[in-house]
Amino acid sequence: MPTAGLKTIIALSFVLALGFLLVILSCALYSKYHPLLVVATYVLAPVPNWICSHCANPDDFVESSGAAILDLGRFCTGFLVVMGIALPVVLAHSGIIATAAAVMSIVGGLLIYGTIISFGQFFQEEQEF
Amino acid sequence: MSSEERLFRFSKPAWLSSVQARNAGVYLAGGLFSLAFYILLDSAVWSASPRNASPLHVNFVDWLPFVFSSLGMLIINSVEKSRLASDSFSYSGSGVAWKARVVLFLGFAALAGGMAGGVTVFVLKFVVPGVGMPALGMGVENVVANALVGVSTVVLWVSQNMEDEYAYNLAL
Repeated sequence: MPTAGLKTIIALSFVLALGFLLVILSCALYSKYHPLLVVATYVLAPVPNWICSHCANPDDFVESSGAAILDLGRFCTGFLVVMGIALPVVLAHSGIIATAAAVMSIVGGLLIYGTIISFGQFFQEEQEF
Repeated sequence: MSSEERLFRFSKPAWLSSVQARNAGVYLAGGLFSLAFYILLDSAVWSASPRNASPLHVNFVDWLPFVFSSLGMLIINSVEKSRLASDSFSYSGSGVAWKARVVLFLGFAALAGGMAGGVTVFVLKFVVPGVGMPALGMGVENVVANALVGVSTVVLWVSQNMEDEYAYNLAL
């Protein structure tokens, strides 16, 4: 993986802005502000992983209690990621938001989450060396 | 496990016991559980929305099988897997494997009971009175949600067993 240059940061911030634009558009066009929950979900999604990786002792392979809390964090992260896709679908199925708004908020949320993940990977790669 | 002592003719692929595969399995289990929860939540939200023209509504009875399935999943995946094999770990008292098997049996009973409860609600509340399709979806979603909790449990169990073999290889 190449190191994070200036172009990478510019491209990531552009994609992040595009994602926020799509989510806010899906709210404001229909004046129903439920899809904003998607942003909160995707911002919260890496938090369990982060907390549990600080709690655990990954060198402790014999007792494997360190791996258990890491798995708990991964489980919660997987839960939150799928929640970001499932929440607009649930809202659209019951007619609370329009179908187009659901599609826009899902695409925007995935762009936001992809930005967060790739930014974190670039950052972690710098930190290791 | 060396390749000389294996039982089957096809060897296990190398990626199956790697760290990435078991991490992906844990993420997948979380995603499947989330899918199950939101499928059941979808039936509840749809039941309260104006699109539900039928007199049927989701109440606590529809949630009860999911509660039991989730409880079973929690119990099954809380058991330490390495205690199941033998009683050789002497520091936690005698008969640990027996106790672990009893707890594991309770967990599987709760999981299977939740699955059976989902089918029971589907049959007694929706099929027997002859409910039509848009309202029948609430019962179908109940069954699908409980089945997904079972699938998520299996995925998590298999991933954690991968983790044990990985730790064993490192310890050697």
